Amino acid sequence: MPDPHISVTLVNELNLLAAGLFLLATFGLVATRQVLDCVALFAGQSVLLAASAALLGHEAASDHLYAVAAITIVAKALLIPWLLRRTASEAVVARREISQVLNIPTSLLIALGLSILAYFLAAPLRAAAPAGQVGVNLPIGLAALLIGAFTVTVRREALPQVLGLLSMENGAFFAGVAIAPDLPLFAELAAAFDVLVIALVMGLLTRKLQERAGSTSVADLTDLREE
Amino acid sequence: MVLWFILILPLIAAGLALSPSRHRTVPGGVTVLATALQLLLALAVAGRCASGATVTALPAWLSCDAFGALVLVLCAFAGFTAALFSIGFTRRATQPMEAGRVRRYFVRFNLFLAPVLAVPLFSNVALVWIAVALTTLLSIFLVSFDRSTAALEAAWKYAILTSMGAALALFGVLVLYWAMRQGGAEDFTWSGLAAAAGAMPPLLVKTAFLFMLVGYGTKAALVPFHSWLPDVYSQAPVPICALLSVVETTTLPYVIVRLLPLFPGKAGDGAGRWLLAFGLLSAMGAALLLVQVKDLKRLFAYSTIENAGIILAAAGLGGAAGYGSLYQLVNHALAKPFGFFAAGAALLFAGTTEIAAVQGLGRRSPLAGAALLAGALAVTGAPPFALFLSELSILQGGAVDHRFLPVALLTLCMVGAFCAVLYHVTRMVFGKATASGPVPAFPRSYALALFVAFVPVVLLGVSLPAPVEHLLRLAATALAR
Amino acid sequence: MIVHLLYNVLQALVVLLFAPLMTGISAKLKERLQSHRGPSVFQPYYDLWKLFHKDEIVSHESTWIFRVTPYVVFVAPLFVALLIPVLTDYPLFFAFMGDMLGGGFILALGGFFATLAAIDTANPYGPMGASRTRMVGFLAEPVFMIVFFTVSVVAGSTIPYIVQQRWVHPPANFFDPAHVLLMIAFFMLILAETGRLPVDNPSGHFELAMIDESKGLEYSGRGAALMKWGSAMKFFVLLCIFLNVLVAPWGLASSQNLAAVLAAVPLVLLKMVLCILALVGVESSFAKLRLFRITEFLGAAFVVCVAALLIRLMEL
Repeated sequence: MPDPHISVTLVNELNLLAAGLFLLATFGLVATRQVLDCVALFAGQSVLLAASAALLGHEAASDHLYAVAAITIVAKALLIPWLLRRTASEAVVARREISQVLNIPTSLLIALGLSILAYFLAAPLRAAAPAGQVGVNLPIGLAALLIGAFTVTVRREALPQVLGLLSMENGAFFAGVAIAPDLPLFAELAAAFDVLVIALVMGLLTRKLQERAGSTSVADLTDLREE
Repeated sequence: MVLWFILILPLIAAGLALSPSRHRTVPGGVTVLATALQLLLALAVAGRCASGATVTALPAWLSCDAFGALVLVLCAFAGFTAALFSIGFTRRATQPMEAGRVRRYFVRFNLFLAPVLAVPLFSNVALVWIAVALTTLLSIFLVSFDRSTAALEAAWKYAILTSMGAALALFGVLVLYWAMRQGGAEDFTWSGLAAAAGAMPPLLVKTAFLFMLVGYGTKAALVPFHSWLPDVYSQAPVPICALLSVVETTTLPYVIVRLLPLFPGKAGDGAGRWLLAFGLLSAMGAALLLVQVKDLKRLFAYSTIENAGIILAAAGLGGAAGYGSLYQLVNHALAKPFGFFAAGAALLFAGTTEIAAVQGLGRRSPLAGAALLAGALAVTGAPPFALFLSELSILQGGAVDHRFLPVALLTLCMVGAFCAVLYHVTRMVFGKATASGPVPAFPRSYALALFVAFVPVVLLGVSLPAPVEHLLRLAATALAR
Repeated sequence: MIVHLLYNVLQALVVLLFAPLMTGISAKLKERLQSHRGPSVFQPYYDLWKLFHKDEIVSHESTWIFRVTPYVVFVAPLFVALLIPVLTDYPLFFAFMGDMLGGGFILALGGFFATLAAIDTANPYGPMGASRTRMVGFLAEPVFMIVFFTVSVVAGSTIPYIVQQRWVHPPANFFDPAHVLLMIAFFMLILAETGRLPVDNPSGHFELAMIDESKGLEYSGRGAALMKWGSAMKFFVLLCIFLNVLVAPWGLASSQNLAAVLAAVPLVLLKMVLCILALVGVESSFAKLRLFRITEFLGAAFVVCVAALLIRLMEL
């Protein structure tokens, strides 16, 4: 029998859809073979984050969340891909195939396992907060956080590692729009600025790596050892 | 008002250092002046806080209490001494640098100082997170200043690992905000959270604490998240190492320990246990790693990890040991730069930082040898240096509270680290000189920096001045749960 | 009762008659997208007519399996056509004889016999293609299972007629993430099961690279005609399951009179043409995958579907 507890308002369904596609984009970041596709997936993930913020803002009639959505689109979906393409040199962006530590089906299965783990971690948190509804954003955000960390460890190239890092922050914000919707706007702006600085710095560092070491395969950097 | 000045000064200095000029000394001179001014302003703020007041510029956004003032003064002092040392460093480091590079160095140096000084001044927890994240990001290009592949590798590891920690800490901050709203409070500052401690759902607070501990702990190089720190310290320029070590062992324990008042009553024991566990793990791990270290800068890096562990473990013990933890924080922040400057001087005279390759440093340059020996003693807690008193205070405090196992383990770590460091350093300083070639003159800025860093270490080793003690006591009460 | 039986038979007839047309339309659209003129949309009918009038040659090395397989491949989709909604959105006479799982097994029966027949001859390309088809098949099986599992969790049943109602009552359910992700996963499955790019090239003639086409290599005359027709009907039936069960029951007849049911025929065909347009668009955008990358493709479909299930769990 269909579950009677599920709210069937259109906005709620759309938010659930955004959450589902957000999770899918996060899986894509672990599994895609091409660097340009990774950047596009990150942009898509950010757009979905903005969509969720806008939908939740509509439901709570909060202008604040609309502002958050706008900031997210400008900073993450537009500026960061542009910054990464500008600062990381052409050779990096044109690279077709990414090598990684585990093969793709195994990585995907581990990412699935991490999502289930995130669900179980989030369940007691939701129970501990009776006031207000956080819905699906908290488990999905936590899952993106964990899968982003996994992405950083499993990818061997510089740019996908950076994108994994940025997707961790996206995940934290995805949970944030539901659990901390009225965080002061100044803090949101500053956080967006921080993310931009990350992209700028990492892009420049990637370019230096390409110039110095001849490739951006980060796994080849093994000079420094624990002595 | 004074707080605004402290925030803006580094940015102005960075702008001034950027201006092209014919003299290579201009950026360095501007930086030294700016950091001296920051130090004076910080001392002024600390003076006001020592009498129990809280300096406020913007309520709920920008303010400074006793604990914050402590951290502010320590960071400002480290900035000043590092700037002094940087002058000699940029003038005659391993290769002489041309003017453009020197300019870039000092611009980045000043930009780095801006968020460092902001951390104790912001009172909104979210802004503190942003400041901590910015300190990482703005130090990356300072770490990789050497431009070799190894330096880039170190910078990359540093960037990735600490940013991952920052993302985890961000999640913790958001959950903390959620907990605060569940409790019905509005004020997302340290004091506001402490006041709302009873009303927040305990599970949420605990989750937030754990995420922030792991996140900020990665940046503080707690074992097992420490793997980036020795690599970074072995590649970064010496004054940057000194500054980074002070930043990591003051601002990060500051942020972590300020979460303790959120656990009222018995719940504080659980949080304290987590701190104690991570702290002991770090201290023991670092002590073990010190035995087999092969590089002088890595030696001081592991010593940093060990001290960070001791500070957090003592904070976790609570009670009288909590006061000792803050005391250790102060003393370590004063002693560690001295150690690094001595290592820098040793590098200048020995030509390499590899421990096995250096012998008889004392014969080649008595001043450098003496400085290195004194630095090693100061950093591992030997009398008459300051760390001895604070470590004693921690152990006494722990024993008074009948926590004998942690005290025994801490003693073991301290003694072990002392032996290991002395073993390595004495091998370097004594014996027949192995380095050959002309002996360079001892740079005046190095000597000045060493002297300026040395004075407080000895002073505090003899006795604790009253204003400092006031600040410490006030800070410790602010953390009482 | 009799009316329902009649409509059921009508459904099967529609599948029988219009399947080659859909194959023709898809071939023409693909050629058009590549700026060629393409064959006429009725070309498959001409091909079938020609093949039925040719002699059949059967190898001495083959057994009864080779002779029986064309009939099995021809009849299996017809059976499934009796179970699924093709023209109506209310259950017909045979509707409860089997659910989607049963339908899937019957289609798999056809594929099983085709694989055996390919090995049955002494042609070296047969077993090669057969083993590849089995690989794709066994990778697609878990995805099928998860799709049906998710559908049963979300809709509470695996009877197609009950499932299709879930997506439109209430209308917001169309955007249910489980629904959208299921659509994506099943779309990828269709690409794999019917041997389309990026899994396999249906218009390729190079036997070394064939996966699905190799099952029809040895047949001639009437056998070839039945294999072709059966393939076309399998494509039609899979599209029906996708469109009428998993997307939405638009265009299907809701009332019982004959006029409405007959009016549903062009509507359903139109829906199918739109879907074929999307399919052809996807096909023209991707290069054929290397053989061992097919695991990644189907693994992605698997993950999409499990994500649907996860979202479902997370909102509870």
